[in-house]
Amino acid sequence: MKEILPEVERWIESGEDAVVATVVATRRSAPRPIGSSLAISSSGAICGSVSGGCVESDVYEKAQEVFESGKPQLVSYGISDDQAWSVGLPCGGEIDVFLEKVT
Amino acid sequence: MSDLLERLAALPEDARAVLFTVLEGDDAGRKLLVVEGGETVGDGPAELAAHADAILRGGRNRLLELDGTRVFAEWYGPPPRLLVYGAVDTAEALCAAAKLLGWTTIVADARAKFATRERIPSADELIVAWPDETLAQVQPDHQTAVVVLTHDDKFDEPALLGALATEAFYLGALGSRRNQERRRERLLAAGVEEQELERISGPCGLDVGADTQHETALSILAEILAVRAGRGGGRLRESPRRIHAEAPS
Repeated sequence: MKEILPEVERWIESGEDAVVATVVATRRSAPRPIGSSLAISSSGAICGSVSGGCVESDVYEKAQEVFESGKPQLVSYGISDDQAWSVGLPCGGEIDVFLEKVT
Repeated sequence: MSDLLERLAALPEDARAVLFTVLEGDDAGRKLLVVEGGETVGDGPAELAAHADAILRGGRNRLLELDGTRVFAEWYGPPPRLLVYGAVDTAEALCAAAKLLGWTTIVADARAKFATRERIPSADELIVAWPDETLAQVQPDHQTAVVVLTHDDKFDEPALLGALATEAFYLGALGSRRNQERRRERLLAAGVEEQELERISGPCGLDVGADTQHETALSILAEILAVRAGRGGGRLRESPRRIHAEAPS
């Protein structure tokens, strides 16, 4: 999380909030190691990454819920998700992403 | 930002710390930052601090499961250090390779003619000193790998003896198998326990058929990485384990 904090700090100083998403678990293969994080500002700016592009769009959607509720979320992505809307990882792995609001 | 995030953002590059984040339950989102030395910041459960030492030593991020609740532990700290005793050609090749990984490199030799900037441009620090003095100065810890390369018993042996008394996560020594056996007997005679000798990788390096200085350096560095990750260092296609490193538990 540390590497994205300078950017998050700039957003907060300019009056925005931020949601930080962090990879906290990986199973089988995974594009990014645990600890990789992505920050999203309330105006939609993005910094960092959690997967190399595979799940970022869904993380962005989930971040909007976290902005509204202020409550953290733990989200799993991977091939075991069979919901029609689920976003998968082409490498066949699974990742858990923790989203939290930073003000 | 919160005091905790301000503190994390301002953490110096050479400071070690663990950031715990509770992922589930009523405390979800609560954080505790534990800086090496004991300082703690944040509203996360104070008992998490008891796990900080193991994480600091592991040198990697980890997901903990504590009483059925998952807690993410992020490790922060400087990159590992490589201490090479013996300012020989392989020392330069080894430092150049370690720099590619972002590690800090230190080369020491008692012979001032050897330990020069011209010969070893890839060392972050050059020390002209005997092994004991070098080890006292560098203070290898659990994030330090030590390799002795002089091929000369009067340097290699005190360097290995001294390094065995530290927490260095890797101890390597070049030399033929015949010399390894001879050294082994001398170290045993010097009072080193048989079990302690197992910490020494000698001859150091993975069996990749290295021939040149650079190939040897890569072979040694690959072994250092494998030891750090608790891996055997074989071929991935023959390994049943997952590809990426996990913190040794």
